[in-house]
Amino acid sequence: MSIDAIPIHVINPLPTEPGLTGNALPLLREISEMLRRLLETGETAAIDLSALPLTPTDLDWLREKLGEGEIAVTLQANGESTLNETACPGVWWVTHHNENGAVTTEFIEVSFVPELVKAHPQDVTIGWEHLELLISDL
Amino acid sequence: MQGPLIDNLVRQGVSRRTFLKYCATLASMMALPPTAGRAMAEAMAASRRPSVIWLPFQECTGCTESITRSHSPTIEGMIFDMISLDYQETLMAAAGFQAEEALHAAMKDNYGKYLLIVDGSIPLGMDGAYSVIGGRSNVDILKEAAAGAAAIVAMGSCASFGGIPKANPNPTGAVSVSDIIKDKPIVNIPGCPPIPVVMTGVLAHYLTFGTLPELDEKGRPKSFYGETIHDRCYRRPFYDQGKFAKTFDDEGARNGWCLFELGCKGPVTHNACATTKWNGGTSWPVESGHGCLGCSEPDFWDAGGFYKALSMPADPLKFVAVAAVAGAAIGVGASFANRAKKGAAKAAHETTTLADLEK
Repeated sequence: MSIDAIPIHVINPLPTEPGLTGNALPLLREISEMLRRLLETGETAAIDLSALPLTPTDLDWLREKLGEGEIAVTLQANGESTLNETACPGVWWVTHHNENGAVTTEFIEVSFVPELVKAHPQDVTIGWEHLELLISDL
Repeated sequence: MQGPLIDNLVRQGVSRRTFLKYCATLASMMALPPTAGRAMAEAMAASRRPSVIWLPFQECTGCTESITRSHSPTIEGMIFDMISLDYQETLMAAAGFQAEEALHAAMKDNYGKYLLIVDGSIPLGMDGAYSVIGGRSNVDILKEAAAGAAAIVAMGSCASFGGIPKANPNPTGAVSVSDIIKDKPIVNIPGCPPIPVVMTGVLAHYLTFGTLPELDEKGRPKSFYGETIHDRCYRRPFYDQGKFAKTFDDEGARNGWCLFELGCKGPVTHNACATTKWNGGTSWPVESGHGCLGCSEPDFWDAGGFYKALSMPADPLKFVAVAAVAGAAIGVGASFANRAKKGAAKAAHETTTLADLEK
């Protein structure tokens, strides 16, 4: 009897690419669950990628699977931060760099708009006062 | 500089988003939920600066270097805007009587409220004569400063556990802060040096919640020391797959496999290097290809050789034995032969030989 006759086949083959640990795959399911909650209750969530045992290859794999969306936000605050929409709307890839360009933290944020993009009411007030002053001077 | 912190920051050109980003990073480091950064930012932005007194004892200034240089002058520097650092010998301009006066003024004005940071161990040999500042022994100064402190932060392995000064045969009789002070809350932030963000995290926690973070049985903040290096190591999957580097230049080493067999102390070392990394998130020892030395554990210097494997991975019994010798308890039901060997090595304060390095 040949070994092929045994009716077993591997559904999830072991990762073949060196550096790929297989730890990124479960994240896709977690993100999917987060999206479901966002739609049902409006609850936002985030995954701290720097806190997980992921290799650079894992991160590349995850980034490739999530793809690129339409919006890419760049924030200049103590180093550059990028808040990029993935091909799945509502899923944002957030990377914080320090002033030397090194990555300090990396998140996947599941929300309609990332928290950091929104303006704080106190800052809006200051901006508004500034604008009023500007108008009154004209 | 008085008033809420955020006003001070804005005056210095630090925007709210910069601060939010900082808090998000800090929350990540503290293993708080990623969304906790915003709550922290709001609490800290409104806080007023507590007085902090920093006393250096039997130390090498490595801890201060770590804190002040790592991200300087950017992100970690911000925490210094959140506290009033009233005494720090290395950083302060004042010297001599002027400096001692500043110390006593700060202690008097903020009695019962200031945060005391200590780095370095305290020598008790020869009545404390091994380390003296302004004619007074470290142990005297510590007792006086501790009396009026709200809480004490033991910065680095020396202040936390005695560190290298305490290494066999401990010529100066060095002890830790918690060996002397028994009636104050003490946070141990071990590491040689400790990770800067751990210190800023503890301070941020103090500013945000007005309390010290939750501590483990060795007095360390659980958020940073709750897991081992090994638990969070990015090379952990290779350990699980049984892929090990056998020498520092073999195929396994080049492929970034697990460094367990090259003496990595990650499995018994509680610290946050694997997640926070070093030098502004650039890298950390294991990422640079060297195993963890276990510098944040008590008596790491006498734990039996940096390049000796904790055990063979296939034998969990030996693993327990070595962990017990390196750590606290005597292993129960462990391999006797191995324990005796390690115990003898420890007692004899065996030095690292070339053979160890070439293992």
